[in-house]
Amino acid sequence: MNAGCARHSCVFTCLVTTVEKLTKVEFTNLDKVLFPKLGIKKAQVIEYYIRVAPQMLSFLENRPLVVTRFPDGVGQNGFYEKDAPQGTPSWVKTAKFYSETAKRDVNYVLCNDIDTLIWLANLAAIEIHTPFSRADSREKPDMVFFDIDPEHPATFEDATTVALLVKDKLDSLGLKSYVKTSGKKGFHITVPIAGEYTFQETRKFVHKIGQQLAKTQELVVSEFNDTKKPGKVFVDYLQNSHGRTMASPYSLRATPEATVSTPLEWSEVRKGIKPTEFNISSVVKRKKDPWKKIFDNKQKLTV
Amino acid sequence: MEKESKVPRRPIWTGSLSIGLVNVPVKVYPMIYDRGISFRFLHKTDGHPLKYQKVCTKDNKVIPWEEVAKGYEVTKNEYVVFDKEELEAVKPESDKRIRLDKFVDYFAVDPVYFDRSYILMPDKSADAYGLLLTVFEKKGKAGVGKITLRTKEYPALVHAYKNALVLTTLRYAYDVVDPRGFEELKKLKKSEKDQLELAAKIVIDLSGEFDITEYKDNYKQKVEELIKKKLKGQTVTPEKPVQEEVKGLMVALRETLKQLEKK
Repeated sequence: MNAGCARHSCVFTCLVTTVEKLTKVEFTNLDKVLFPKLGIKKAQVIEYYIRVAPQMLSFLENRPLVVTRFPDGVGQNGFYEKDAPQGTPSWVKTAKFYSETAKRDVNYVLCNDIDTLIWLANLAAIEIHTPFSRADSREKPDMVFFDIDPEHPATFEDATTVALLVKDKLDSLGLKSYVKTSGKKGFHITVPIAGEYTFQETRKFVHKIGQQLAKTQELVVSEFNDTKKPGKVFVDYLQNSHGRTMASPYSLRATPEATVSTPLEWSEVRKGIKPTEFNISSVVKRKKDPWKKIFDNKQKLTV
Repeated sequence: MEKESKVPRRPIWTGSLSIGLVNVPVKVYPMIYDRGISFRFLHKTDGHPLKYQKVCTKDNKVIPWEEVAKGYEVTKNEYVVFDKEELEAVKPESDKRIRLDKFVDYFAVDPVYFDRSYILMPDKSADAYGLLLTVFEKKGKAGVGKITLRTKEYPALVHAYKNALVLTTLRYAYDVVDPRGFEELKKLKKSEKDQLELAAKIVIDLSGEFDITEYKDNYKQKVEELIKKKLKGQTVTPEKPVQEEVKGLMVALRETLKQLEKK
């Protein structure tokens, strides 16, 4: 029995300590490669989320999260996870809600502090998705969401064109809008709103704007039935629903290039930009945080 | 915590040293103890000790002793099976004698063959014992022979050590690897004369008396300190080498925490 001593004594001591008291999280498998094309390891993913935490946390606060985990790396055996997993530490806040899609009560994770964000990253939760309302007022969205989604052969450049059309339309209605790359093919545009609307109302609002643009713009489709029309850009209004989510601002995406859903200034949205410019290594160097004051600007909708 | 190497109370074997027709009755006492740190395996969740069980590899059923046989693996997964009686029949008889049939220079025996040492005590045979001890000391000789302990027969060496006769069992030749089998050693070149002189000088400069107490078991000492602290209810912080990656993460985290404080 002597042979196993050195290893075994560790079991006892590990129980009572963590490496440093800066975080409650016990790191595991930091060497695991999570983005194989770039050779990015879990340690780098965790570091990324640590560095963007100041920009992310106020947005995540009290939003029941859905995550996409890739314990074996992007491209392999990823899974969508709504429930707080087994072994969730007691200090992680959760909220129980009935899920329409799962048809049962789901215990959602709330990420209100940096330890929870680090813990999620350590679980290889590459993508963090957020609903459009918070746990304390689930039926009242605090933003309107336009998903600008190009259908092949429409390109990111086409999506750029449509995003700017949506912005102009919202400007003309006196509404300040905020944009981010989805991190995949298109853009996400939001309008922060005062909490007096229902999802039915926000959905209708986005649908209407899509319809108005589709009338004059060849490139734009506004109806769900037309979403798969090749070469078109769909202004998706359907996500404005109870329990639907978007990739959170600054969430990594499970792409080979480790792209990030990155908040942009409208002035940055111009022809020639590429979603891959905004990735795990470039985003942390960005000096600006265009969505910083988004909820200081809760607006009323008028059509 | 530290167990002193006290004199053992009971002999593990009694019999006699026999040299030709002369018998010297002796008692054999253990001399070597393994006093490194050892642990028991416990169930992490409830703290109970774990035990081993013999489990059949076919269906994972626990097998009682009555159903256990011994098999000698001839080729992979092919066994010659023995039951207890068959092996008992060929085991050496413990004939209660340490037969010394040769005397050699003590230092001529390579320590690679040394197995385990035992202390011999006279068994109402003080005169003969003393005589043998004195001869060994004076002549620097040791007796070579055989002893059967429990059910195994060992080659053995009886020699003088700190005013006692000590028996050291030896390993069989087949248990020890002959280093001449290594090819690298055959290619060793002859050393240059000046280098050889330099090396010899270093060896002479560092020469000293051998003292085993200069070597301490640091791991054992550290674990014993931890045990003392745990018994007093203190929490123990291991000085575990921190992984490079964790260090990097802590740098990032410290910076972020500072930013968050400002908010």
